[in-house]
Amino acid sequence: MPSPAVEFSGVTFQYPGAPAPALDNVSLTVNAGERLGVLGPNGGGKSTLLKLMLGLIEPTAGSVRVCGMPPRSARAAGVIGYVAQRADAELSMPLSVREIVTLGAAWRVPPWSAVPTAARARVQRMLELTGADAFADKPIGKLSGGQLQRAMIARALAADAKVLALDEPTVGIDAAGQKLFAELLARVHAELAVTIMVVSHDLRAVVAGSDRVACLARRLHSHTSPQGLTPQVLAELFSHDVAGLSGVLAGMHVHAHAPSECCEHEHARADRTPTTQGTPRADA
Amino acid sequence: MQTLEHLREFGWSGFLVLALLAGLSVVAMCGVLSVLVVVKKLGFVGQGVSHSAFGGVGLAALLAALGWLPDSPIAQLAVVVLFCVGSALGMAAVSDRRTVPVDTAIGMFLVGSMALGAVLTHIAQAVAAERGRSGIVQSWEAILFGSILTANWSDVLVGWVVCIAVLLCAWWFRRPMLFWAFDEDSAAAFGVPTRFTKTLLMILLALAIVVAMRLAGVVLATALLVLPGAAALKLSDRFWTVTILSVSIGVLGLCIGLVASFELSWQPGPCVVLAMTILFALSAVWARIRGGGSALATPAAV
Repeated sequence: MPSPAVEFSGVTFQYPGAPAPALDNVSLTVNAGERLGVLGPNGGGKSTLLKLMLGLIEPTAGSVRVCGMPPRSARAAGVIGYVAQRADAELSMPLSVREIVTLGAAWRVPPWSAVPTAARARVQRMLELTGADAFADKPIGKLSGGQLQRAMIARALAADAKVLALDEPTVGIDAAGQKLFAELLARVHAELAVTIMVVSHDLRAVVAGSDRVACLARRLHSHTSPQGLTPQVLAELFSHDVAGLSGVLAGMHVHAHAPSECCEHEHARADRTPTTQGTPRADA
Repeated sequence: MQTLEHLREFGWSGFLVLALLAGLSVVAMCGVLSVLVVVKKLGFVGQGVSHSAFGGVGLAALLAALGWLPDSPIAQLAVVVLFCVGSALGMAAVSDRRTVPVDTAIGMFLVGSMALGAVLTHIAQAVAAERGRSGIVQSWEAILFGSILTANWSDVLVGWVVCIAVLLCAWWFRRPMLFWAFDEDSAAAFGVPTRFTKTLLMILLALAIVVAMRLAGVVLATALLVLPGAAALKLSDRFWTVTILSVSIGVLGLCIGLVASFELSWQPGPCVVLAMTILFALSAVWARIRGGGSALATPAAV
């Protein structure tokens, strides 16, 4: 039986002052080397799940283990490679792609030491694996959306992470870029056999690169293969009352979007989001 | 030219040389920190800390007037540094809780410290006059706009000790600091001690600002932390090139400002800041003509 890379056991989390828990009794296991997609609407607890896994917040009830360790220990040990939504990064930083990726591999190197040759070799290998070697000496602020995403994945892998967690990886990336992204994840998985968790509200992003899909809307609704995502499952997931707003919305006529319509709508909105560069992003 | 005549006449003991040596310590550390300040958009934080220093100056003046603090620049500097570090950490703590917006938190500390500084300086002047020690309280103008032309060897020594300490600390923690500065949320996920790194940068900024106040005063100290980095980032996108350019622009602005101040009999602090502002404008024009990018090759930042 494969060993679990990430284990959520009966996890409940409620933000202080919130009327309802963001996550309610979620149990989920991701086996080592598995690719899991976590699909859910905005406000469904996906980011909370990631924060719990990273040890940035503690569960109200239940427990989380990453590679057999509490999340904080796993984070300190560097076993989690996290790729955030790219809006978080300071793209005016005068650093090249190679320097950013090297930081992932070598930020713990003592200040008096140069970056070890082994770490530099690993950086080069991850740049090549992700295809970021073609623009390794470019400043980080001059990349397209797809290039930046590859650089961030290379940084996570260069840190020798056992679990690669990607938060909304396809936001603002066009259809061609999404296809390249799915191919990249497949290549990384085949080459390194790393555990991959893709968390997104975008059905295509989750289905394209996953062995299993966990549908999350405060509770775990289903836990199935991508083929098991029937229209009924998606309809229930995306029309779920995730924020406990039924009282507020009482009396209002609320349409439950058809799942594909919901995803398309969210995606189109994300695609229109202006970038920090002031230009629309497209994959190179 | 008066400047050359002064240098010929007084040599190393002239006040212009002392001002230059004290100023160089300030622009060296501010030039390095400036790159992070601009990239992390901490200009307003710098403004908040430098104005907080006004409260620290008032407190130090009152303690000195009462005779509870030795009449030495190092003792007074220590009080101001502690006050600024406290304010910087307070701003960071209040903004981290996210119950108050960051700019509101900074604004509160800024005006609160300014008001406290004004009241304490007023009381200190009255107490000092009563006890016949008027000379120990700085004038309002010196506090607000700096008085580098009155720098002595102990000011130069303090400036360089603080400068070397700040630069060593920044070099020692360069890797986690760069990681944090580029991508704060991801840095935490990678295990970078983000809270420690942020606190450390706040302390370094507070130290730099307190020493910069001697040159440019409370009002203009932030300019030394913003203008060199902003100008350098217009000229290059390579980290070490930007850092070297930032320090060079600071040094050039200091020299031009001091000479202009001496020749024209204007206040030195505003002259230095104006010189740096002009250098920033020239850098922006040059970047527009060249189309950005780096012309100089430097080693990797990491």
